[in-house]
Amino acid sequence: MTPRRPVKIAVSDLTTSVQRLDRHALIMAIWTPALFAAAVLFHAGYLYENNWWFVSSFGALIIAFCGHVIANAVLRTGFTAGETALGSTLLVAATLAFLVMILVAPDELVSRLQLPIGLGLGVLVLVVAISMLISFGPRRSFEKFDVVRDNNLRAASRLPHRGGRR
Amino acid sequence: MTFLLVIIFGLMFVYALYFAAQTARLGSKPGDFLNAGMALPSWSVMFLLPAIGVAALGLERQLLLVTRYGLQASHVAIGLVTVAVAGVLIWNRLWVATRLASLRTPGEALGRYYDSIALRVIMLGLCVLFALPYSAHILSQAAQLLETATGGTISRSMAVWMCAITLAIPAIIGGWRGTILVLAMQALFLAVLLPGIMLFGEVVLGGDMFPTSPMPTADGIFWDRIPGVLQAYGGVGKNVPTGGIFTTIAISSTAISLVGIMCSPATLYLGQTTKNGKAFAVGGVWLTGGLAAGLLLLVLPVVAARMPDGLAGYANVLADIVPLAGVAVILLGVVGSLLAVSFFVTGGTLILFSELVHTYLFPKLSPAKQRFGARVGLGIAFFFLGLMAAFMPFVSAVFASVALPLALQLLPAIVGFGFMRWISRGAVLAGIVLGSLMVIFTEPLGLILFEGLFVELPWGRWPLTIHSAGWGLTLNLLIVFLSSMVTLKGPDRYQRDRFHNEMAAHPPTSMGRQGLLWALAILWGFLAYGPGAVLGNFFFSDPIFTDLKAMLGVPSLWVWQSLFWLLGVVLVWWVAYSAGFGHTHVSERKPIRLGLPDSTRTPDWIKSGLKRVVNRNGGDEIEGDPLAAPVRVLRSDLETRQPRVKPGRGKIKSRK
Repeated sequence: MTPRRPVKIAVSDLTTSVQRLDRHALIMAIWTPALFAAAVLFHAGYLYENNWWFVSSFGALIIAFCGHVIANAVLRTGFTAGETALGSTLLVAATLAFLVMILVAPDELVSRLQLPIGLGLGVLVLVVAISMLISFGPRRSFEKFDVVRDNNLRAASRLPHRGGRR
Repeated sequence: MTFLLVIIFGLMFVYALYFAAQTARLGSKPGDFLNAGMALPSWSVMFLLPAIGVAALGLERQLLLVTRYGLQASHVAIGLVTVAVAGVLIWNRLWVATRLASLRTPGEALGRYYDSIALRVIMLGLCVLFALPYSAHILSQAAQLLETATGGTISRSMAVWMCAITLAIPAIIGGWRGTILVLAMQALFLAVLLPGIMLFGEVVLGGDMFPTSPMPTADGIFWDRIPGVLQAYGGVGKNVPTGGIFTTIAISSTAISLVGIMCSPATLYLGQTTKNGKAFAVGGVWLTGGLAAGLLLLVLPVVAARMPDGLAGYANVLADIVPLAGVAVILLGVVGSLLAVSFFVTGGTLILFSELVHTYLFPKLSPAKQRFGARVGLGIAFFFLGLMAAFMPFVSAVFASVALPLALQLLPAIVGFGFMRWISRGAVLAGIVLGSLMVIFTEPLGLILFEGLFVELPWGRWPLTIHSAGWGLTLNLLIVFLSSMVTLKGPDRYQRDRFHNEMAAHPPTSMGRQGLLWALAILWGFLAYGPGAVLGNFFFSDPIFTDLKAMLGVPSLWVWQSLFWLLGVVLVWWVAYSAGFGHTHVSERKPIRLGLPDSTRTPDWIKSGLKRVVNRNGGDEIEGDPLAAPVRVLRSDLETRQPRVKPGRGKIKSRK
C-alpha cells in the first residue's frame, strides 16, 4: 500500500486579499485620527508660540506609530513595502520642507520653529530606529540598509550554500 | 470654520469611498456583500461595540442633559457597563447558534428557534424603525448642528441630503464589510476626539470650572446629587420633579434601556457576522465597559460644564483660538451621529433584504442578483432616510423615542434563545405585545395619539421618573415568567431542548460560577445605579461612620460613579474572560437544523399578491392551472376565460 500524500491546502488569494484589506483598514483607522490630532496640535503650536503643542503633535504621531507596531505584532505581520515607501517619502518630504522653511522663512519664525520641529523630526527617526532594533536586532536592522550586501540580483544567490544573501 | 468643516467631511467621504471600492474589488462572492462572508475582522467589531453604546445614549443629547442636570444625568453612563455585559452574553450565544444551526439573520434565529413567523415580522418592524425614523431623527439633529455651526451657510435640509448621499454611495459600493471597516475608524476617531477636546479646552481656556467649581445648572437642580430613589411625578409635561428628573429608578431604567441597542437587529447582525476570536471580550471589557463608560463618566461632565450654549457655541469659542479645534468639536457631535445612521440603515436594509425579499418574495435569486437587489434596497433606504430627516423631523423624533424601549422588549426572547429553555413562544409573544403597549403609552407616540383621539391621560412621558423601557420590560418579564410557568411542557419544548442541548456542548462557564456571578452582578447593579446609588450623594463627603468631613475637592457622587465604574469593569471582565463568554471558536460538531427546511418556494399568498401587481408569467400559469383561476390578473382576455373543467365532473353517476 502506497503511503498517502499529504493534502496541500492552498491559501487562496481571496482569503489573503481579504486579510490584507482588513489589516490595511486597521492601520488606516489608527493613523487617521492620529493625523487629525497631530494637525490640530501643530496648528495650535504655530499660533500659540508654545513648544508643548509641538511635543504633543509629534507625540500623537509616535503613539500612532506604536499602534501600528502593536497591530503588526498582533496580526503577525510587518510593515509592507508600500507603508515603508510612504513613510520614508513623507519623512523626507517633511525634512525637506523644514530645511526650505529655514532657508526662506523670516528669522523670527525660524528661531521659534527650528528647535521644536527639528527635534520632533529627529525623534521620529529615532523612534523608527529603536523599533527596528527591538524587532530585528542590531545586525538585521543594519542589513535592511545594507545595499552593498544586497547587490546580487540572481535568484541563486539566495540559496543557503551560496551564502543565503538577501 | 465652514470651509475647514467641508474639507474634513470631503476627506471622510473619500476615505469611505476608498474602502468601499477596495472591498468591491476584492473579487469575493456576491453573497458576501450582504454578510461579509460571516467573517468581519475582530478589531472592527471591537471598536464598534463602544461606539454603538455611545450612539444609544446619543453623545450630543447626553452632553445637553449633563449641562442641564449635572452629575445625576452623567450617572446614566454607568449603563454602558450593562451594555457591555449584555453585549458579551448575547453576542456569544448568538454567534455559537449561528454557526451551529446555519442561521443568517437575527430574525431567522429567533423565528426558527421559536417557530414563529410573528417574531420574524417583529424583527423586520424593528429593522424599519431603526433604519428610518430612529436614524432620520439622529441625522436631522446632526444636520441642525451643522447648520448652526456654519451660521446657516449649509442649511439643515442641504446637510441632510449631503450626509445621506455621502453615506449611501460607500454603502452601495462596499456592502456590509466596506461599511463596517469605515465605521470602525470613525469609532476610533470619537475615542480620540472626546478626551482630546476636553484636554484642549482645559489648557486653552483655563478658569475655575468643574470639578473644582459647581456645574452651571439651573436653580433648583441638584447638580451633584441624585434627587432620591423615586418621585411621585406625573411625567414630562405634567409636573416638574424636585431637584431633577434623574432619580435612581430613572437612572436604572434609562441604563437598562441602553441594552435595547444590543437587541436591535443591526447590532445582533454585527455579532453574528463576526469572525471567531476575542473581539467580544476586548470590545466589551476594555473598550465599552472601560474606555467608553470611563470617558462618559469622567470626561463628559468636564466638557459639558464648559458648554452652556451647546456644542455649536463651544465650537465657536475654540475656533476663535484654533480653527481646527472648533471643527473637532463639531465632528464630535456629527461623526457619532453619522456612524449610528450608517450602521442602522445599512444593517437594517441588508437584514430586511435577506429576511423579506430573499426569503419570501424571491427565494430563487442568484447571489449576483441578491447583491444587485441589496444595492437597490440600500439606495431606496437612504433616499427615504433623507426624505424623513429633511421633511418629517417631528414624526421621526416621535417614532425614534420608542425604538430603544421597543427593541428592549425582545430581551426575554433573546434570553430564552440563549439561556433559558423554558421560555416559550406564547409567553414571549404575549410579553412583547403587552410590553410594547406599555412602552408606547409612556412615550409621546401613544400619548399624542390617545390624547388627540380620545381624552387626556393622567400621566405624561416616563411617569414616576421611570423610563418607558422600564415600564415595558417590567410588564413583559411578568407576563413571560407567568406564561412560561403554565407552558413548561408545551409541544414545542422538544425543539428548544434539542437546540439547548447542542448549545450546551459549547459551554462558556460552569453553573457554580454563574450563581456567584449573577449574585454579584445584582449587588453591583443595586449600588451602582439602583436604589443604593443615593448613598453616593454624601458617602465620601460626609462619611456616616465619623463626624469628620472629608475634603475631597470633588463631589462625592463623582467618586462613587468612578468607583462603581471600576467595579463594573471587573464584572464585565469576569463575564468575558473568567466565565469565557468573550471568546468564540470554530466548532467541529455536526450542524443542526432548527425548524422546517429552507423553502425555495414563495408562500402562496405572497405569490398571488405579486401576480396581482406584476403578472410576471404572462398568465400562462393561470391558463394551465384551474386552481389559480380566482386570482385576478390585469389582462382582460384572461378575465373572461373560464377555467377548463372536465365534462361531467361533479355529477353523480347512476348505478347500473
